[in-house]
Amino acid sequence: MKNIESSYLQPTETPLNQPATEHIEDATAIMKIQQPSTIKTIPLEQSSDEKPVVGVDVSSIRIGETETGILCAIRGAIVWKEKKRYKYQRIGPFPFHITEQNKNEIYKLFRNHHFEISEDPRAPSIINIQARIGNLLERWLQLGISCSTYDAIILWDGSMTAGMADSPVEEMSRLLDIARNRLSIVLAFSKNTTLRFSGHKLTDYAEKSEPPCLLQINGFPLSSGPMLLLGDVYVAKLTPGVCSFRLDIDRKVPQERGIEAVQSLLGSDLLVQSYPETLRLAHIFSTFTATEVIGIQRFIAHQHGLKIVTRPNVRRMLFGPFGKGAEG
Amino acid sequence: MRLYKKEGNSLQILSAPNDDVEKGDYLIVEDAMVNRKLITQVIDVQFASVPGLLEELLRDSTTEEQIYGENFDPLGVSSHINNIQDARMLICKIRGTILNDKLRVNSSWLPSRSKSGITKISINSLLAHARGKEDLSINIGETKDASPLNITAHDLDGRLNIITGKKGTGKSHLSKLLVLGLVDYRATVVVLDLNGEYGGLGFSAKGEGNKYSGRVQVLTPGANFRVSLSQMGLSVILKIMIHALGLPGTSTREFKHIWKTLSQQRKFTLQDLGDAIRKCSCNMHVRDALFSRYYSLVNSGFFTDDEESATSFEKLFEKTKKDGGALVIDLKDVSSVDRQIVLEYTLGVLVKILNQWKIKSVFLFAEEAHLYLRETYWEDIVTRMRHFGLFTNFVTNQPDTIKENIYRQADSIFLFNFTNERDLETVSKAARVDAETVKSIAQELPPHHCLLIGKAVKDFPVMVKVRALDIKTMGQTRLFFTDNQGSSSHPNYAYN
Repeated sequence: MKNIESSYLQPTETPLNQPATEHIEDATAIMKIQQPSTIKTIPLEQSSDEKPVVGVDVSSIRIGETETGILCAIRGAIVWKEKKRYKYQRIGPFPFHITEQNKNEIYKLFRNHHFEISEDPRAPSIINIQARIGNLLERWLQLGISCSTYDAIILWDGSMTAGMADSPVEEMSRLLDIARNRLSIVLAFSKNTTLRFSGHKLTDYAEKSEPPCLLQINGFPLSSGPMLLLGDVYVAKLTPGVCSFRLDIDRKVPQERGIEAVQSLLGSDLLVQSYPETLRLAHIFSTFTATEVIGIQRFIAHQHGLKIVTRPNVRRMLFGPFGKGAEG
Repeated sequence: MRLYKKEGNSLQILSAPNDDVEKGDYLIVEDAMVNRKLITQVIDVQFASVPGLLEELLRDSTTEEQIYGENFDPLGVSSHINNIQDARMLICKIRGTILNDKLRVNSSWLPSRSKSGITKISINSLLAHARGKEDLSINIGETKDASPLNITAHDLDGRLNIITGKKGTGKSHLSKLLVLGLVDYRATVVVLDLNGEYGGLGFSAKGEGNKYSGRVQVLTPGANFRVSLSQMGLSVILKIMIHALGLPGTSTREFKHIWKTLSQQRKFTLQDLGDAIRKCSCNMHVRDALFSRYYSLVNSGFFTDDEESATSFEKLFEKTKKDGGALVIDLKDVSSVDRQIVLEYTLGVLVKILNQWKIKSVFLFAEEAHLYLRETYWEDIVTRMRHFGLFTNFVTNQPDTIKENIYRQADSIFLFNFTNERDLETVSKAARVDAETVKSIAQELPPHHCLLIGKAVKDFPVMVKVRALDIKTMGQTRLFFTDNQGSSSHPNYAYN
């Protein structure tokens, strides 16, 4: 963001109500289980074999608009638990000014930096690019973790579905291969899943299960169009409570080792409502608060001499208190 | 700084953490488009209510206690985020407006929120706008911006002032400073010194004589302050008998009769008065009542039949007329009944002398006056005696002992620290300032700092650090645990 060719910055309205974009997880494809399948409950036991646990998450948020484009910011957080202590590294925030003129350049820069594939990508529309560069940063951080940890449990926020623009099959496989070669295992937790079985949401099947347990879903298609599942899909109910999550475990890891990894997670990390604390903290540390959004707006206005202006809200002008929903 | 909100005469100003603004400071909100300025005073500094701040703090508190880590922020955005977290809201009170360089007491004008500039203004430049008479200045101390703050003797002339604050905050010290300031301009001051604190006014901290030596006279009742009956008119002795000694109505009538008989015979000794009561053909109970009061007068030691040794205020005031001076009536070792006798006499004689125009006026400084002034005197002093030229300055650490109507009539209040809400509630009844200002600022005043309210500061409440005086410290609390080495070898300038 060296130069901004604009004289004003129109801040995003009510930043508190604007949720930061979730990365990776939103990209989970809609896949239907077509053939008859079975569900197997795998009871778990907490393992005394304590392992390092590393979680990663990235958030992005729209900061405002200029005459020529949009302003957004991304931030990543890595949290790891080692010897009963949580540690974190926050990367960012990085503000971006994305215009029609520079969007290809920014996207290419991110993609080529993170991925080894050489194909020339087409940048998405300005509306979607914020989520895309967030995803690319998250993949880059995941790569860094895969390369730097050994015999650890690596937690991803999202699924192991590959084949989309920001999760090419080759790159996703490479991430998992590197981790596997360093005796680490990747566990991907999805807070929301679109997967359904017999008309019910996948996670609903764990309601009556006795925790800690995994529900193994058999009969999933490995691929659907360009998309490929790189992990075995489970429903994880690790603690008592109402929550359960879709859990993807690297398909190339023997099933027993995958289950052992989950049992190690039970003994190595704090779990609240079946969700690992390390991943929860990573989410908290990456998410933008309203104060931070205002601070970033100030930073941009200050650094680039932009005047902050607030354009009238057409929806509010027209409909008053009835003007709900997104602007447009 | 940006103007955020105006409600009534309150203003809220958004301020960055690095803006050097504190409670008590004055700000000018200038709307250049209309050439008008709003004068406001900061009465409280709060954190700005920023959305999402709670989440932020909760996250950070988790971080600090259990989680260790670092932030990689190459662009330095965090400093801007911290700025938002630390943003402050200045709660201000509007004190007036400046239109074409003329000060007006008006808070109805609303400056532009988007175009107004806000700057800090020094107290002295603010007071310069409101300045009246410049001569006879008395330096009180220094303001927060380290510039000297002067009031003028005119600000105390003909006025009712109250000096109040909790124990040990510096009330008596300021009172001494004002006494000496008035004496500098040849005023006559009478101090009712309850704790024997003012005796050192004529001496430097080292115990040597100072420039006030010849002009400060300490009168100790029963010692160098004794009076004869002949100096007293009927009205003064009646006040003593009724108010100080509680003589009932029937006995008072008899006493009047005895006094008139004695005055016709020009017999004014204590002996004559005793004989007259003894010979009086009145009811036995009345005689007993008169005798008991008579012996109270005799035993007080305040009365003498020796005209030569009797103290004459008229003569004392003759001296002060030329160079000014302070008469300190030391009430330290005087019993409460005797104290009331002395006070009834003193005030009675003062009014008499002032009524006869023998002196122009007297500045009276009364410490903890509720201990010796009867109820009816308060209003008398504030309303009637002011017209005779008796200008009162009350000094108290119990503000609720002064009646509300006196606060309402006070021209200036020198307010020291109070932490008790009830005390502040009492003081806030003063008509010259809003309750919020009093409560908010006075609670955080450090020792020897006071908030000046009222005419002395042209109705712009000002915080001031009272200057030290080179006078001998008297009336200090006697301590058991004292550092002898430390206390005896450093006769520094006093803050007592």
